[in-house]
Formats: sequence, C-alpha cells, structure tokens
Amino acid sequence: MSNKKIPTINFKEKAIELLPEGASFEACLTCGLCSSGCPASGIENMDPRKFIRMAMLGMDEELSTTPWVWCCTQCKRCQHVCPMSIDISQLVFLARGNWPQEKKPSGIVRSCELIRSTDSTSAMGLPPEDFIFVVQDVLEEVRETQPVFKNLQAPMDKKGAFFFVNQNSREPMSEPDEMVPLWKIFDMVGADWTYSSKGWAAENFCMFSGDEEAWYEVIKKRVDAVNELGCKVWLNTECGHSYYTMWNALNRFGIEADFKLESLITYYATWIREGKLPVNSKWNTKGIKFTVQDPCMIVRKAYGESIAEDMRFVVKSLVGEENFIDMQPNRSANYCCGGGGGFLQAGMTDHRRTYGKRKFDQIAATGAAYVLTPCHNCHSQMEDIGHFYGGNYGVVHFWTLICLSLGILGENERTYLGPDLLALID
Amino acid sequence: MKEEARNFETDLAVIGSGIAGFAASIFALNRKINCAQVGNTGAVAYTTGYLDLLGSSEELQTPIDNPWEGLEQLKKAQPNHPLSRIPAADIRKSFEQFTAFLGECGIAYTAPQDANITALTPAGTLKKTLCVPATMAEGAKAFADKIPCVIIDFKGLKGFSARQVVANLKAKWPELTAARISFPDMDKGEIYPEVMARALEVPATRTRLAELLKEAAGEVKVIGVPALLGMHNPDLVRTDLERLTNLQIFEIPTMPPSVPGIRLREMFEQVFPQKGLTLIPQQKVTSLTFNVDGAFLKLSDNYGPITIHSKAVILATGRFLSGGLDANITGITENLLNLPVTQPLSRTDWYHDEYTDHRGHAIHKAGIEIDSSFRPLCNGGKDGKAYNERLFAAGIILAHQDWIRGRSGAGIAIATAYKAVEAAEKFLNFHKVKSNVE
Repeated sequence: MSNKKIPTINFKEKAIELLPEGASFEACLTCGLCSSGCPASGIENMDPRKFIRMAMLGMDEELSTTPWVWCCTQCKRCQHVCPMSIDISQLVFLARGNWPQEKKPSGIVRSCELIRSTDSTSAMGLPPEDFIFVVQDVLEEVRETQPVFKNLQAPMDKKGAFFFVNQNSREPMSEPDEMVPLWKIFDMVGADWTYSSKGWAAENFCMFSGDEEAWYEVIKKRVDAVNELGCKVWLNTECGHSYYTMWNALNRFGIEADFKLESLITYYATWIREGKLPVNSKWNTKGIKFTVQDPCMIVRKAYGESIAEDMRFVVKSLVGEENFIDMQPNRSANYCCGGGGGFLQAGMTDHRRTYGKRKFDQIAATGAAYVLTPCHNCHSQMEDIGHFYGGNYGVVHFWTLICLSLGILGENERTYLGPDLLALID
Repeated sequence: MKEEARNFETDLAVIGSGIAGFAASIFALNRKINCAQVGNTGAVAYTTGYLDLLGSSEELQTPIDNPWEGLEQLKKAQPNHPLSRIPAADIRKSFEQFTAFLGECGIAYTAPQDANITALTPAGTLKKTLCVPATMAEGAKAFADKIPCVIIDFKGLKGFSARQVVANLKAKWPELTAARISFPDMDKGEIYPEVMARALEVPATRTRLAELLKEAAGEVKVIGVPALLGMHNPDLVRTDLERLTNLQIFEIPTMPPSVPGIRLREMFEQVFPQKGLTLIPQQKVTSLTFNVDGAFLKLSDNYGPITIHSKAVILATGRFLSGGLDANITGITENLLNLPVTQPLSRTDWYHDEYTDHRGHAIHKAGIEIDSSFRPLCNGGKDGKAYNERLFAAGIILAHQDWIRGRSGAGIAIATAYKAVEAAEKFLNFHKVKSNVE
C-alpha cells in the first residue's frame, strides 16, 4: 500500500448534488431499518445508518477513509427497506472512486485493468484469439464425444444473429466444459445466436472500483461490438453484475444502443412456456430440495419482481413445485450473498465471510440440498461460505439443471452435482 | 435502448403500503375484487405488532378496558372521528377478517374479543390493545396472573432492556426478574432483532439458544424475550424453543427497527402476488389523474415507468411520515391530488407551547374530509361534494383523529379500509351492472 493520502470528500454537499429533487439525507429518521437489514452492518465498526449520520455531521475524513466502502456491496437493500428511500450506495460509489488507485483493493483494480487490456473486455485478460480457440476446441470435442450433438454450433462473430450472447470469463479460462450446457440449450430451442470475439466478456469490475471513466469505456466497447454485429438482443448469461453494469451505464452515460438487453432467465422461462425447452421434474425421484438465490443486480436493482417470478417458474419446472423452498426474505428483499460489489476480488476474506453468514443462515433455514442462481459471484460466494460455515448444500447453474432434466448433460458438465444428483443420472 | 413502459389494468388500486393499504388489499381479496397495490415502504415496519382499536380516551387520556363501550363514548364526544362513522359490527368484522387472514398466511393473531388486552411495551409499561400476535399473547396472561417470570435480554441489543421492563413492572408483578445472555455467534458489537430473528429460523441456532435460555430461567418456568423469535415462521420458532427448553416463552415488542412489522411486510409482499394481487412495493405514485373511464396512476421503479389504469382508487397514503400529507410554511397540504386538508387556522395553532401538553396538539387531527361512502371531499367538505366518484380514502390521512393519543392507529387503518373497500365494491358493481345494461 502506498502512503498517498485519500482525499476528503464533502459528503453532505455531494449528497445534495447526487440526489433527485425532493430527496434528502436530512429526511433520515435514524430508525435503523437500513442497518438492521444490512449484512455489512458492524463490519469495520460501520453501518448504513452510521454512514448517513456521519455524513450529516460532516465527519468527512472518517467516511472518506473507511475501508467499509469496500465491504458494502452496493446491493441497495438499505434503500429498499428505507421508508424515505434514501440511497446510500451512491455515496459508497463516490467514496470508492475517491480512493487513490494504489490504495484501492488490488484485486478489483487489477481486474479492471485486465478488462481494459484486451478487446475481449475479460477480467481474466483472455484475449479474443484465445477465446475463439477455446470455444472451437471445446466444440470439436463435444461433437466427437457426444454423437447426439455432432452438429452442435457455437457461432462466433455471426453478423445479424438475433442474440449476442456474452460469456463469463471463468468458463473459457478455468472450466470450459461449463459453456457446453448453454450451447445445447440454444441448439434445442433453435436460437439464432452468436458469440463475439470483441466485447464478449460479462464481468465488469471497473464499476466496482468506482472508476466511471473505465466503466464507460468497457460498456462502450461492448455496445459497439453488439452494434457492429447488428444483433437484436444482448443476451446476458447467468451473471448478475454484467447485466446491471450494462443496463445502468446505458442510461447513466447516454450510450446509443440499437438492441435490447435481456436476461437468459427471461428466455429460459419463455422457452419453457412455449414448449421449446421440454423440461420436467420427473427425474427428481428422490424429492431433492432446491432453493434459489435472487441476485441483487438483476432483481432488486434492475428488473424487480418480474424476473424473480420467472426464476421461480423455471426452478419449479425443473425440480417440481413441492421440491422448491424459497429463502426468506426473497425476491427484491433478498440479502446480497456478500460476493457482489467486487468483495470476492477485494481480498477481505474474513469480512466477506462475516457478511455471508446472513446468506448462510438463509440457505440453512431452507434445508435445501442445492441453491440455484444465475450469477457467478453469488455462485462462488455461496460455495465458499458453505464450506466455511460447514453447510452441506451444493450450488448449481440453471443451465446444468436444465440439461440434466432434458437428459443431455455430458459427463464433463457435472462438476457442481453432488452424489445424490449424480446417482439419479446414472 | 428504449425503455419499455409497463401498463396494468385493474378494478381497484390501493395507494399506500401501511396497515391501511395492506388491510384494503386483504378486504379486496376477500371480496374477490381485482386489485393492485402500490406504495413505498410504509411505517408498517415500525409497528409493535399489536393491533389497537381504541386503547385510550383521546381527550381524557384514560385507558379503555372495553373498546366497544369506548366507541360509544367516542361517538358522543367526537362524532366526526372516523371510528364514530362506522358501525361497531363492521369494525369487529374488519378485525376478524384481518386477523384471520394473517393467521392463514402464517402469522397467528388473537381474534378480537369484547375486552382489550393489557399488553406489555418495550419500556415495561402497559397498554390496552385489541389483538396481539400469538407469540405475545402469553405475556399478557402471565402479567394478569402475576406468574413468576424472567425477562431476558441480549448483550449488544439496543432498544430492549430487561432491567428496564422489570423496574417498571416490579410493583405490579413482584416475581418478575431480569437476565442477560449472549446470542449464539453474536457476542460482539451492536446486534439487531432482525438478524437474531432470521438466525432463529435455523434449527441449529434454536438448539444453542435453548440451552442459554434454560440456564437463564433457572427454576422459573415462564420467560419473556424481545420479539425476535423467527421472521417467517414465528409460531413454529416459538413452539420449537418451548419444546427444547420445556419453558413457556412469550415475546415483548422492541423499539424500531423491530421484527413484528418486518414480519408483516415480508409476509404481505409474498402472499399478495400469490393470491393474484398486483403488488408494486417500495415505489411512490407520482401522479393520479381521473377521466370518465377511470383513474391513471403513474410511477416508476428501477426498471422504468409504470401506468396503472384502475376503475376505482383507495387513497391510504398516511400522514406526514409516509408522505400522504406535507407540512409547509403556509399550511398542510395533501401530496397527490392537493385535496383540501382540514387543519388549524394558522401554523402557530399547530402545537401548544409544551410538547407534552395533556390536551394534545391540533396538528395531529389534521387530515382530509370524507363523505359517508369514504370519498374525499372537495372544498374542505363544505358542500359535501366528492372529489371524484372513483376515489375513496382510508387510514390516518383522515381528519378528526389523533390516533397516537387514542391508541387507535390500527383500528382506524383497518376499519376505514374495510368501509372504503365496501364502498368501492358497491361503486364497481353499480358500474358493472350499468355497463351490462348499456
């Protein structure tokens, strides 16, 4: 860490600039619903109510330097439960951006740098040619080893395709076989889709570093890539923040996009309703129980209840209504898992797990054997806190369970299945 | 990218998500009225969980044992009071339906009786209320019978002190003692009832807490704890803890942010959509307009603009805290339609000099006027003309009541919601018949 001082922000003044007309931090009743409902409360001796009160009292130096801003995942649950609808996450974003680059958590900064280092916009720095190679390589292997899929497609840079599908770097980089289930789903529904060699990556840690310029640059590159291919829909993979960073940025920066933003969840639900994805729950003969994690980035912070409803429709179709147990609270009121906001990359492991205890309790209370979630950060965090707190649940992607239900899940695509699920396949 | 506007069609739109708004939605569901509810987080999260009908005389500030007799007195003393305009049988029905609904949805409540219950407050004082959550009912009985009891609080939990409760009740309840324990895995820093309640949804946490409770109870068989026995399944959590400890356990409300209100809000938010109601929580309606066909409500959520087209509307936006009314330099205004507000003549008349003046303050009776069908009136009610035939109102936005002094907040909310929905249904049916004939 460098000795460079963190500049002091005048939070009260900034709050007035940031808030829409009529809204005010002075409206805070200090009731504490925000802190009571925030998993980051108490970490670094800070909580949302304290943050607001300190801002109002002009304790700017303390707020400018508190590492708590890296523990708040900007999930906006505080605003959601606030009777005055006070948005604290905006101040946290401001505070993050104010930290000198070299003092920010290096994991987040490094991820943002890597995103900007290639045309892929990949936080793992995977260049376009490597992405093309991995996709081709995996595709060939599937065609050879799974005869049913000898004509499987994974189009690259296909102009005029309906869907522009993004891809979290984790798969091509570390677990390439995890890309396959989604390709099979597209194949089954006859989707007209493409990957792009440019701007294909989903993750965006530049927003989490509080660096607006970098955030804009990344989104611009991605939007240009979609526009260039002339796709109608940017279809967001099972990733939460990739959607939010794109969706929020289009309005925030006034970027022109000639396409719609959609989530895979919406399409899973549509394809199931239309009969294109003939999934069922007959395979679940042992009544294995499942719950679902609502990613803040696509539920509370973006779509709201409609996507939460779609998610439940898909899960129930896959595992059987009687085998689905909702977490409490859920949907827009759900807790952030603690993996969001760059927390997983920030290197503050103890704090992250303290935060995640709330999520662990939620999952444990359901008694479910598996958690489904369409978000990579949620996925990683829930796995980690499960191991740490001694939970005995697994975390699975939607695509895995869809292919399992359809009987088309290849042998290399079963990483996240426990013995109970594997026993049902074999 | 273009934002997609969303449109909803409904027969009845409820604006507000406090007790009045939720009650209106319950009554609409019971009457099978197609309904939508909108409103940002109301004050419902602040409730103790007690449902007061009339606990105190507004004027004399004396406790009321029999609220039904109290209502008769109220009619004579304050004929304009919203509760004075509603037959007692309807008020009883409204409470019965409301508590039955809560029970069916997983939060059991006592049904309204002929007498008020003397219930315990977080400060160890007593208040008169009509219905209480099942998790709290045994506390009132333990107090009535003066059963030996230990009140237990938790290290790090603010807003609830067992010693304070005992100090205030000791004279009336000699065998009451206090104990403090640490909640499992929460022995550092400030802790919140909400967090503890959610942790108790996990069976393993209950097992660990049970051991601590047993130790704290010693020889005593009845214990009182702050309201944190589970969030989603309070009755199950309490029963399970009683089984594990072999003790009788009851809850006492805590200071906000408290669990009973969050329980209600989260339950409503989950149950209403399942029952077919369109619920748009956490958002404020920004404009309400009427034309010959109905009402248009405009609002926005994170995702973009929403329009609700409704045949009738219930305004349950509350007073100052929830934003139904606004107190300005020049006077008090109603925020959505600029309805006339009955209020003291000038700002200097809002308050007496002393905040604790036993007469109360005139500002606390400000509100909107309604006709016999619970329709807001134009012109401050002078000519008795309704603002719009499609608009009804319920809850504490109504004038001529000081619900805090009367301990009548839930009573006004629930009973007026019942009448407003009844009137709205009558209107909707009349127009259905009319359009069928045409």
